[in-house]
Formats: sequence, C-alpha cells, structure tokens
Amino acid sequence: MEKFMQYMDSKIEEGRAKTEELRADGRGDDANFMKVRTNIYEVCKTVSQTLMKRPGAGTGAVKAMLEKFRAEWGAALEKAKQHDNAKGMAVEEIKLSALEDVIAHFEEVSEA
Amino acid sequence: MTQEDAMKLFKCLSDMSRLRIVQSLNQGDMYTELLAERLDLTPSTVSFHMKKLEEAGLILSRKEQYYTVYSLNRKALDKTLYEIAVSEPEQADEQQKREEAYRRKVISAFFEYGRLRSIPVQRKKKLICYEQIAALFEIGKVYEEKEVNEIIFPIHEDYCTIRRDMISEGIFRRDGSQYVRIK
Repeated sequence: MEKFMQYMDSKIEEGRAKTEELRADGRGDDANFMKVRTNIYEVCKTVSQTLMKRPGAGTGAVKAMLEKFRAEWGAALEKAKQHDNAKGMAVEEIKLSALEDVIAHFEEVSEA
Repeated sequence: MTQEDAMKLFKCLSDMSRLRIVQSLNQGDMYTELLAERLDLTPSTVSFHMKKLEEAGLILSRKEQYYTVYSLNRKALDKTLYEIAVSEPEQADEQQKREEAYRRKVISAFFEYGRLRSIPVQRKKKLICYEQIAALFEIGKVYEEKEVNEIIFPIHEDYCTIRRDMISEGIFRRDGSQYVRIK
C-alpha cells in the first residue's frame, strides 16, 4: 500500500506542476482540466487511506469504491454525450482516464 | 457584431490551445482526432475548444461521412481589429440583460440535463426555477392534478412542494383538483 500511496503522491505533484505550467503557457482551460485530473488522484488517495484504516475493511473495500466511481462517472459521461455537452464530456473522460490509471496501479500493488 | 460578440471572440482567442487550433486550421480543414494528434490533446478536450471557437463564430463545421470537419470562418477572421473594437453596444436594456444573465446562471446551477438538482432556498432563485418549470405548461389551459404531477415529477421528485409553491407564487390558479397556469 505504501507503494500505491507513493504513486498517488507523485501523480498529485506532477499534476499540480503541469497545471501551473499550462496556466503559465496561457492555456487556462487545459490547466483547469489538469486540475480536475489531479483532483481525482487526491480523492482516490483520501478514500483509499480512509478505507484502509477502517477495521474490517481492506483492499476489497477500496476496489469496491473505485468500481463505484467508475460506474457513476461512466453514467455521467453517457449523459453528457446524450446532451452533446462538450465540457461535460471532456471532464468525465478526464476523470475516467485518471481513475483507470488509479485502478490499474491499485490492482498491481494489491496483487503483489 | 455587437460588443458582447466582440468580448466573446477576444475571450475565446485568449487561450494558447485555441490559438494553436486556429493556426492548424489555417493550414487546412481538419477533424477532431487529427487536431488532437497534432496538438497532443485528447479528442474530448479538442471538442471542447472547437465548441468555444464555433460559438465565437471563428470556425465552421460540416459532416463528412463519419467525421465532423472543421474549417476557419474566413469572413469572421477577415474583420479588422478596428472593426471589432468599435462594435456597437447592444440595443437591449442593460438591466434586462443583467437579469437575463442572472437567470441563466441560476438555471445552469440548479438544473442538470433538465432535472432540478434541489429546490433553491432563496426565493428569487426559487422563482426563476419555477418559471422554468412553468414553461412546460400552457397558459390558460386546464390541467388535472395528476397531469401536473406527471409533468413535474421527471424534473424533481418532490412534485407536491413544487406544485403547492407554484400556487402560492401565483404561477398556478387552483380550482379543486384543476390547475391553470396564469403567468
């Protein structure tokens, strides 16, 4: 789990730096999208830490929570597509892409 | 072009990614995926920028088989900076415009894809949301209570509160189980 948390911290740090870089480059909207991506790592890190500390909960609880996010954000993406909401589609795709990365790393670490 | 359009145009172009898109389209018409590849952005991010550019009137789109192809709107881009900068203010009353902007802000904050997220606590905001719901009813037409409920329910599950509030706010007139929208 320590390895997973280290990975999350590195992604958060990287995301914050990229956000600043994009903003300095005059790419305000892209910077906002990067902030959304970074927030996903922050949310997943906080949720995982909290669940791992809870008695009786463990990697199974974290996996279930991540799957719940996947289902909810997948549904939000579908809704955005149905309503041709360009900003909504971009945001939900970014959230899902970050989440897939988190899930892949979590599985890798928890299986090791 | 109005001053409002000019503001939209300048705001839209004050973003490096969108300037790069305009630069790419200057070399030829392109579709989202190709632009995404060239600019190292995801297709959904490019689509977001394209929508903004389209709303500002800077690009045009056309369907070609499975793709939406984008091109520069030369007519808009050929305008001189002077022509844009001296654009006329809109004729509509300023106060009316501010109110309309506020109304749009409230609606976008409280409605998501046609559903009311929550009933606003502030009366002014609540009235704006109720007026939006009232637009689903014809003025002067008599509706049975069941019909009123069926129209409001898909928007918010607490249709009873909304129905009652709409009477007390003078949007509906109630006569027994019949309702008439009066404003």
